[in-house]
Amino acid sequence: MKRRIIMSILFALITIASLSAITAEEIVRKMDETETFATSYSEGAIITTDRFGVKTSTFKAWSRGAYDSLIEFTSVAERGQKVLRTSGELYLFYPDAQELIRLQGAALRQSMLGSDISYEDMTGEKDTLAQYDVKLLRQERVGERNCHVLQFDAKTRTVAYPMQVVWVDTETYMVWKGEFSTKTGRLLKEMLVLETMVVDGRTLPKVTRIADKMKRDSATEMRLDRLEIDVNLDPAIFSLQNLTW
Amino acid sequence: MVRFLLALACKNLLRYKRRTVITSVAIAVGLALFIIIDSILIGVNEDSVRNIRWHETSSVRIMHADYWKDRLLMPLEVHISDVQEKIGLLGEHGLTATPRITFSAQMILHAEDFGEDGNLPVVVTAVDPRTDNSVFRFEETLIDGRFATSGSNELVMGSWLAQDIRAKVGHWVSLVARGNGGFFEAMDMQIVGIVNCPNPNVNRSLIMVPIDTVGIYLDMEDLATEIDVALPASADPDEAASRIPGILGNGEQALAVMTWRELSSEYLAVIGMERKSSSIILFLVFLIAAVGISNTMIMAINERTRELGMMRALGMPDPLIQVLFIIESGGIGLLGSISGTVLGSVANIFLVRNGIDFGFLMRMNDFGYRVQGIFRGAWSVQSLATTFAAGVVLSMLVAWIPTRRAINKDIPACLRHQ
Repeated sequence: MKRRIIMSILFALITIASLSAITAEEIVRKMDETETFATSYSEGAIITTDRFGVKTSTFKAWSRGAYDSLIEFTSVAERGQKVLRTSGELYLFYPDAQELIRLQGAALRQSMLGSDISYEDMTGEKDTLAQYDVKLLRQERVGERNCHVLQFDAKTRTVAYPMQVVWVDTETYMVWKGEFSTKTGRLLKEMLVLETMVVDGRTLPKVTRIADKMKRDSATEMRLDRLEIDVNLDPAIFSLQNLTW
Repeated sequence: MVRFLLALACKNLLRYKRRTVITSVAIAVGLALFIIIDSILIGVNEDSVRNIRWHETSSVRIMHADYWKDRLLMPLEVHISDVQEKIGLLGEHGLTATPRITFSAQMILHAEDFGEDGNLPVVVTAVDPRTDNSVFRFEETLIDGRFATSGSNELVMGSWLAQDIRAKVGHWVSLVARGNGGFFEAMDMQIVGIVNCPNPNVNRSLIMVPIDTVGIYLDMEDLATEIDVALPASADPDEAASRIPGILGNGEQALAVMTWRELSSEYLAVIGMERKSSSIILFLVFLIAAVGISNTMIMAINERTRELGMMRALGMPDPLIQVLFIIESGGIGLLGSISGTVLGSVANIFLVRNGIDFGFLMRMNDFGYRVQGIFRGAWSVQSLATTFAAGVVLSMLVAWIPTRRAINKDIPACLRHQ
């Protein structure tokens, strides 16, 4: 009788454990879902720090799904500059020159406004599983939060960072921390979320710091002052005609 | 009659010795300046072209057909494959070739070696240490250390770049670059050699690393962004460029073959423009000399108006008088041209042998010329002959107008002239 009770308890525990276990792929899908909105509107700033000082560029951004986004810079030095990403294509608009430039291939790798963020980082597609094999390493705390620690190994050569380790919140699936390395494991960049905000029940980064680990005293902070999700957006926002207006 | 006119013109030239000498000196100085400036321009252009072929473009370059339009982005994805096989094929046809990979990188400087941390964007050229010096001429430019060896994490740098960042042999740097496909890679490299390349564009920015090391790091094994081919100076690059596609066959890859002239077309266009503007300056130098001659001739004719009237009164025909004055003017031009050509040639001997050191200007500025410091002159028989002939002809031409004006006066007016 006693033995039967023990067996029943063990069976129940195993069942509960297997029901609650989550795979690395599921974590990544939820992570991508958290970062992807049907539509969004945001305002914020990119604060770049290097050995020459601190530079702040403010922006407004609109996004639709995983592929379409428009960023318009509002700070004095860059006022009116726009970056439009549609599926597979990226355009820059410079108001002073009234010039529209299509970026493709290697040109997408250029730094945006001298920051540690490239155009492809800013507008990159959010289908992580298509680009990386993922492995759940452990669980670890980042500050006060429990996180899944995941390792991403690139499936192709076309991604910027062949290896990534990210810390994903076990409850909100927001990425708190990321380490981006070469295929030999050399750390190139580190990302850390400093502040969060809750929008429509989702916890999202408010202030994110990206540090270039190869360059001392070089870091970029991305701050979102306002974020609205699932807003009504005119589809024309993501058109080339709108870019030059 | 011609003999008479020549004798009279010679007598007149000797009669007005001071005028003849002063005018001849003005022409001589103008022509000598012309010869010197022209010699330097020809010399610097010849040296630039040679340095372009020796240190930048080689004689002929083979690339992927799509590479040239995107060359400023240096995309590794647009590359030539089966490089060793292609170089072997070229070798079978007597063409010496070497592969290169050109890519952009961030060079990270470490405080341990450089005193402070820093970084700068650089263009890196990955070369095959075994074959590169048979196509390019860096061997004699090494001033410190040695060249990088195959498969090593070693780097060779241009001396001006080394001076700018205070790099020395033995220092370590890190290169962060995008590999073939777009992934980031970081490479630690030790500086093992410093070259003082006579081509300032190269010396200002040169970073050379072994191609096989880069091949592993950036996923470019047996791939290259270019294959460079050396040709003897007397060979026709266009003929070689037209022959190469046949040698390499119709593979899957579309390749482009470009000669050094096409590769450096921007330089040649700039130099063409500079030659035009230099010609304007040279023309102005010549014009000043011409105005001097013209002025002297007007004065001479004014002084001799009574003499001219006397000759006409004695029955000498107007065309002959005009020819006489033009011959006199040509005589002054001849004297000026002889002394100017001699003066210019003597100065040119020094220019060709020693040159003038403009290193202080070239170090800080980019004038387009691929000469680092000493600008040497060059001999040009055509240029000397043209200058000589122009000195004589121009002198004769400028005498025509004042003589014509004097002849148009009537004889009594000429005789009454004070």
